[in-house]
This record gives sequence, C-alpha cells and structure tokens, in this order.
Amino acid sequence: MDLLLQLLATGLVVGSLYALCALGWGLIYGTTLHFHVAHGAVFSLAAYFAYVGQKLLHLPLALAVIGAIAAAAAAGLLIDLLLYQQLERRGALRTSLFIASLGLLILIENVLAIVFTPDPMRLDIGALDTSLVIGPVFLTYLHVLTVALAAAGYVALMWFLKRSRWGQAIRAVSSSPEMARTVGIDLKRVHLLTYAIGSALAAPAGILVAMDVGAEPFRGTRFVLLASVAVIMGGIGSIPGAMLGGLFLGLLENVGIWQLPSEWQSAISFGVFLLFIVLRPRGFFGRRVQSAEL
Amino acid sequence: MAAYLAHYLVMVGIYTILALSLNLLIGYAGIFSLAHAAIYGIGAYASALVALKLGLGFWGGLVVAGAVGAFASALVAIPSLRVAGDYYIVASFGLQTVILTVFINWTTLTNGHAGLPGIPRPVVFGYVIDNPFKFVGLALALAAFTYAVCHRLTHSAFGRTLRAIRDDEIAALATGKNVVRVKILIVTISSALGALAGSLYAHYITYINPTSFTLEESIFIASLVILGGTERLAGPVVGAFILLAVPEALKFLAIPDAVAAPMRQIIYGALLILFMFVRPEGILGRLRTRPRA
Amino acid sequence: MSAASAPPVLSLRGVSKAFGGIQAVQSCSFDVAPGVITGLIGPNGAGKTTVFNLITGFLRADSGSIRYKGEEIAGLLPHQVEAKGVVRTFQHLRLWGKMSVLDNVLVSCRTPLGENVLTLFLRPRRVRAEEAAARERAFQVLEFFGLAGRAQDLAEDLAYPEQKLLSMARMLATEADVLLLDEPTSGLDTESLARIVPMVRKLVQGGKTVLLIEHNMELIAQLSDEVVFLHQGSVIARGQAAEITRDPALTGIYFGV
Repeated sequence: MDLLLQLLATGLVVGSLYALCALGWGLIYGTTLHFHVAHGAVFSLAAYFAYVGQKLLHLPLALAVIGAIAAAAAAGLLIDLLLYQQLERRGALRTSLFIASLGLLILIENVLAIVFTPDPMRLDIGALDTSLVIGPVFLTYLHVLTVALAAAGYVALMWFLKRSRWGQAIRAVSSSPEMARTVGIDLKRVHLLTYAIGSALAAPAGILVAMDVGAEPFRGTRFVLLASVAVIMGGIGSIPGAMLGGLFLGLLENVGIWQLPSEWQSAISFGVFLLFIVLRPRGFFGRRVQSAEL
Repeated sequence: MAAYLAHYLVMVGIYTILALSLNLLIGYAGIFSLAHAAIYGIGAYASALVALKLGLGFWGGLVVAGAVGAFASALVAIPSLRVAGDYYIVASFGLQTVILTVFINWTTLTNGHAGLPGIPRPVVFGYVIDNPFKFVGLALALAAFTYAVCHRLTHSAFGRTLRAIRDDEIAALATGKNVVRVKILIVTISSALGALAGSLYAHYITYINPTSFTLEESIFIASLVILGGTERLAGPVVGAFILLAVPEALKFLAIPDAVAAPMRQIIYGALLILFMFVRPEGILGRLRTRPRA
Repeated sequence: MSAASAPPVLSLRGVSKAFGGIQAVQSCSFDVAPGVITGLIGPNGAGKTTVFNLITGFLRADSGSIRYKGEEIAGLLPHQVEAKGVVRTFQHLRLWGKMSVLDNVLVSCRTPLGENVLTLFLRPRRVRAEEAAARERAFQVLEFFGLAGRAQDLAEDLAYPEQKLLSMARMLATEADVLLLDEPTSGLDTESLARIVPMVRKLVQGGKTVLLIEHNMELIAQLSDEVVFLHQGSVIARGQAAEITRDPALTGIYFGV
C-alpha cells in the first residue's frame, strides 16, 4: 500500500511533466496541424539554456530559468518562422514538414550531444532539493513545484484561450482556419504565437527534469512522442484532454509497475494507448473521428 | 580492402531490402512508419532463435522471420489505420518502443543486452556462406528478390490503388477501394520483407543485440528512403548506397569516435531538412508519366 | 418504360443527420426514378452535399432508411456502397493529380485480379489479360468524354473543364448504375458549360440514373427531368423541373427573398 501511494505521487509528478509537454504540443498541433516533433528539441534546448545561464553566465537560478523559458519560446517561434512557414510557402506537403521537423530534432539533439556530451548536466537547485515526507511518500520540494507549475500552466492557458483576444483568435484558427481567415485573422501571426506559447509550456518541463536528474540531449525525443500519445488519448483539439492525457500517462507508467516489473513500464503505456485507439479513437474529449473526414 | 568493400556491399544489400520495404509504406501508401527497425529486429531475433533453439537453418529462419514480422505489424496496423495518418506515426513509435523493450527485457528468450551470439551461417545447397565475399552474392540475390516483389506490386492495379489512396484516400473510397484492407495488406507485406533483412543480418554478423534495432535506426532507414527518393523504386537503393558511405567518409576525415556518431546524425538531420527545401522528391526525383504509348 | 411507373432506384425515407447541434438533414424523404436525371436543388446550406454523403456512406445517418433497388444501404461503408452500384463525384473534384489521366480512369475499372496480391503473383497471365481489358475500357470512357488525347498527361495539368470531365469519366468507368454528381457545372464559363451540359445528358444513355446537385436555377431545367427541392434539410417540393423552377414561392426561398 505504501508502495502504491509512492507510485501515485511519482506518477503525479511525472504526469505533470508530460502534461506540460502535451499542453504545448497539443496547442500547436490543434491549431496548425503540424506534427511538430522538433518540440522535443525545444524541451532539450530549454534545459541547456537554463544550465548555461546558471553555470556559465552565473545567473541566479530564477533568472536563468526565466531567461531559458523566454529563449525556448523564441526558439519555437523561429522554428515556425524559418522552417515550417518557409516550406509552406514553397508548397510543401504535411509529410515534408514532418520530415524536416524530424531532421531538425535529430540535428539539434546531436549538436547538444557534441557540445555538452551525453552526460547529464545537473542544475544547482539549493533548497528545492530538500525532501518532503508526507506519510509513506518521499518527495522533494522540486517535485511539488513541478505539480504546481503544471496546474498553474493549465489554468493560465485556459484563461488565456477563453478570455484574451489572441486566445480567441487561436481557438478560431484551431476550429476552422478558413473561417478564421474570412473574419480577418492573420493566420501566420496566430501560428507564431501558438508556437511561442506551446514552447513556453514545454520549457519548464525540460528545465524541471534538468533540475531533478540533469539535462540530457536525447530525452526530448521521448518526451515529445509521449506528449503526442497524451494528446491523442486526451483528444485532439482539447486542452483539458491534453492535461488529463499527460497526467494519466504519468500515473499509468508508475502505477503500472506496482504489480508488473518496472522494465515493462513503456510497454504498458503503449499497450493502453493502442487499446485507446481501438476502443475510443477520439480520446477522452476529442471530437468524434470519422474514418473519412470530409 | 577488398574484404571491406565486400562488407560494404553486404550492408548495402541488407539496407536496400529495408529501404525498399519501408518505401512501400512511405512512398507508395503514404504511411509514415517509425517502427521499421523493430520489424528488422523481429526478423533477426526470430531467425536467430529458431536457428539456435530449434536447429532450423537459414532458409527456415527466413520464412519464420517473414511470418513473425508480418504478424507483429498487423497488430498495430489494424487499430491505427482506422483513424488518420498521424495516429500511425505515434502508433508506430509505440510499436517500436514496445518491441525494443521486449528485446531488452524478455531475457529468457533474447538474453537482453547480452544478445545472441553464435548464430549459424547460411548453407546454400550444402555450400556454407562464411565470409563477406560469399555473402555478397546472397545479400544481392535477396535484395534483387525484394526489388522484384516490390516492382510487381507497384506496377500493377494494386500499385495504382496504393497511389490513389496516397493521393486522395476519400476519392479512393468513393471509387470502391477498401482502403483499410489495402493499407493493412501493404503494412503486412512491408514488414515481412523488412524482417527478411533482419534474418540476413543475423546470419551474417552471427551476433545480435538490441542496440541495432532502436528508434535511431528506424529514423536512419527512413532517411535512406526519403533522400534516395520515394517516387522511384530505385530511390531507396540509391539512398542505401550513398548514406552508408557517410560513416566511411567520416572515418576518412579522422574524426574522433566520440564525435563521429553524433556527427553522422547531424549530417543526416541536415540532409533531411535541406532536401525538404530543395528536392523533396529525393535524389532520383519525380516519376514523369509521359511515355508515348 | 415510363419513369413514373418504374420503381425508384434510390429511395430515402425519414433520413436525419445532425452535427454539433445543427440539424443538417431533417426527415428527408424522396425517390429517384431510374433512367432519368433528377436534380437536387436548394439554397446554400440546405443539406444537399450532406445527403450525398449519407447516400454514399461517408456519413452515417442518425435515423431513416436509404434503399437502393429495394436493398437497405444506410450504414454501409463507401466502398461497399460503390460495389452495390452507387458512385459519386466531388465538388472539389478530388482527382489524383499526380497520376495520369489514364491512370485516374484505370483505378475505377474493374481489376480484381490485379488488386489481389495472391493472384497478382500466382496468375500473371490472367492479370495481364484483365489489365489489357481494363485499358481498353478506360480508353473507351476517355473517348466518350473527348479526353483520349490527354491520356498520358498528369491530371493536375488539365484545364478545369477537362478536369470536371475526368471526374465524370472516373465515375462512369466504375460501371455503377446510379451516378451522383456534386455540382457538375460549378466554376465553368459559358463555353465550357456548352460542352459539359450535353455530356451530363449523355450519361443516362444505357440506362444509367443520375442524381445531381445543381446551384444554378437556370441550368436546372436544361439539366434535369425531375427535381427535388431541399430547404433546411428537408424536402419541400418535388416534381418536374419546369414546374419547380417557375414556382415563385420556391425561387423566393432559393434567392433568400
């Protein structure tokens, strides 16, 4: 029982990380329909930006983190501006965008591997490393912060999408680009904004992981693909779905190993994912998926 | 030097089979799969295991490999093809991850990270194929066989249906094509062929372990297809020849080992981006349908 | 055989479909008589394309029955509906642009042996014969539409009116009995219309039945024999084309007056 509680807690923490990535990726995919695997590169870049900020530029942690989030948001925006929009201007197909995105992910991750070596680069987090014991459960303050940030990120995003003008523009484009264009919304700018926000949501996840176990160049690939699984399970186009999907995936991975050997962790998650696709392809909150979308 | 060239040709043969079979999916059916290395691995492990545990020869192993590869792929194809293409990318990633996990963790069967050594060499009509020179013939023969199968498939009504589905699935449905069934078929055939490459690899290197069948490997195989050209059948062959030369070229430039591996990946990544801008149809380019009848 | 006395080839009864709170089609009922051209008309948003999607299985009706030659086809998948004998074109054509004109038509021809992987490898001679027969049929269809000279060109390289003809050719090659045309005249100038309108009329040769969606009230009388008027998802009038187009109440609805 104690073990189960510990696993639930860990699952919540990991789920929060997945949720942050999923919120960002889901926002981007739902609005632009780009399968933005390079989101994983943004995740990794954020972690290394924070590391560089703290260890090389000797900034205080908070400043390094904020700077890293801003830099990651800029990176995401530039990826859309310089890669996807340029390809679209040349009439590229969606598959070509995906391939270019994959190429960029591989390129960035391997550049990071050369510059920083594949060894984990840990940030100094001082007091955040302090343990917190709640009954049988061991956590650190960092873990609590992770869950809090995911919750805050979700609330902020939902508020932004419902209340602000730009948020409504994003929702309009997400539900129908043609209609949005006819009412005068500038699709290119909405895309750029979406990328900035989506990247700004993935960045804290990358940084939190760097604070916990260290930044590694290739972790982003795993996170972005899991984010896409979370978004599909939550339902494409649904922000609450992405949040729920991320949390659910984190809990599943950890609770799954309560009774089953831990090496089978990912197999369990994907097994459930495939079950989802068969039984409920639209996920928790998605629109009904037609096999022929007209 | 000659032995080295023979080794290069064997690997080109193996990767040609992998790239041709993956191109059936990516180029002809428009299905982007990230699981081809896992299928490759399934073929390798299936063939190795029946050889080591059941004493079945290379040819038996080849058949088993094909069957097991086809079956494994069908499992994922069936659910994910009922929805949309992007689901397949994620589902194939899932398949790749699960299968790799099985290779690593089902230690009683696969020996996990330690791998399976001592896989026997193929025997063709009593003649043992035990060095790279002899292997070249076998590898190229299997590659030619794969090419012939792919050629028959793509230059037929079936191939036409595939391309119609790729270009506009809804129109294909309206014209009476059972799109889901065709996709499942092509995924199955592609996987059977990819698994054959695994069998060949296992009996060539005589030792296999999970590190040869990772997501990076899947992406590499996809790069062969994309850079060589998805529209022409020979595209993947060209891709194999060229991209397999990259690691050798890097060795030539005396780049330290620690940097060589990521350097290779950077080149592949950069090439993919470059090609999407400059020549998305790959080196061999577009198929111009203008033959005068 | 008079169209009025023969049993309807297509029959809708009480068909309804809603999406996201909007009732696109409401208790829609009408018959399509065999061997004639029936026009499905109505203002924008009346649900005409939705009716096509429902008949051909691209959408599943919430309720009601759709019968083809007496057999229930509601709930069948699109390729199953086509196999029964009902085929459609699309307003946005949906041609296979990167394939040749000939290939576009060949896809529609009956080539079960060439499409079956087993027979493809095991019965090469029969596959070859089937392919030759299909090519002959494809050329016949292309001749009918005057496209034979463009057989080797890529579909995307054709001019728009020719692309419209190709989409009809693709449909005719399937040998289906019931042809559903979605806005066959949209986007065409007067000169092209002069080519296309008689083509549509020729389609009913050989006993085929045509149901078409048409926007242009003036063309309706030229193009169809009978008309079904759809408004806000329901049938509000049925009858001979000439009567319907002269009815002031209906034209009022059509023009939103």
